[in-house]
Amino acid sequence: MKIDNSLPLEYRNEENRFRIIGFWIFLGAEIVLFATLFLTYFTLWTRTGSGLTAADVFVLEPVLAETFILLTSSFTCGLAIHAMRQGLIKPTMWFMGITLLLGAAFLGIEIYEFYTYVHEGLTLQTSAFASSLFVLLGTHGAHVTFGLLWGIAIMIQLKREGLNETTANKSFIFSLYWHFLDVVWIFIFSFVYLKGLM
Amino acid sequence: MMKQLFPIGHVMGFIFSLVLTLVALLVVYTDMSYTMGMVILVSTAVIQATVQLFMFMHVNESKEDKNTLYINIIYAVVVSLITIFGSLWTLVWDW
Repeated sequence: MKIDNSLPLEYRNEENRFRIIGFWIFLGAEIVLFATLFLTYFTLWTRTGSGLTAADVFVLEPVLAETFILLTSSFTCGLAIHAMRQGLIKPTMWFMGITLLLGAAFLGIEIYEFYTYVHEGLTLQTSAFASSLFVLLGTHGAHVTFGLLWGIAIMIQLKREGLNETTANKSFIFSLYWHFLDVVWIFIFSFVYLKGLM
Repeated sequence: MMKQLFPIGHVMGFIFSLVLTLVALLVVYTDMSYTMGMVILVSTAVIQATVQLFMFMHVNESKEDKNTLYINIIYAVVVSLITIFGSLWTLVWDW
């Protein structure tokens, strides 16, 4: 099946076109959701009370690893969609699989980070800083977790049904979600971690 | 086959995003003023987001829907900036 690049499969019918626009509108709402969590953190991050501060708990190396892992997974996710648009189902599945594995690795490091923070004495209840940090990171982590489950479900459908208008549309929308999570992470990396370590 | 699976635009986008991450790291590894650090972080983060948006999410690929998507994103970003800077202004910056 050779697909015309000027009119990708996922845009073929009107309904699918609207699904893509609709998902972008959802992402707009997500931008605002994360903005409120960021502003909560920015407002409260110096309010540590007698608990640990950002400088006490932040360690660059694991966060940097998370960043490179997520950037790479965003890249492979883009490659998956590129392969899909050429009707190459096998590379699509491979790239999707790599994307999800990298996502799982990211989540593993983030869970380890949370474990370390709690172990060092920074819990959700410690201070306003701790609460706003855990809620911001946790919301992003929950999105990644949901993305993993969603991605697995899409891979199962691709395996069962192959590439058609519906599965191509779902895969493309998933890719938008995944790239969006990467963007949110870049902002967390820059304005929570790097700024905190500055 | 390599060229077919690894299009130049995506590879460039990826390399660019890695470089931007390394540039952002300067704020931790070199001694610079707070203002300079923030300028670097804001620029690298915004460019990163733009790279993702255009190179990977193909926000501009549909002629008919392009403007709808632009307006949607700009609206979300403007609301976000007003919320964030409005809060910083009233709650953090002592004016």
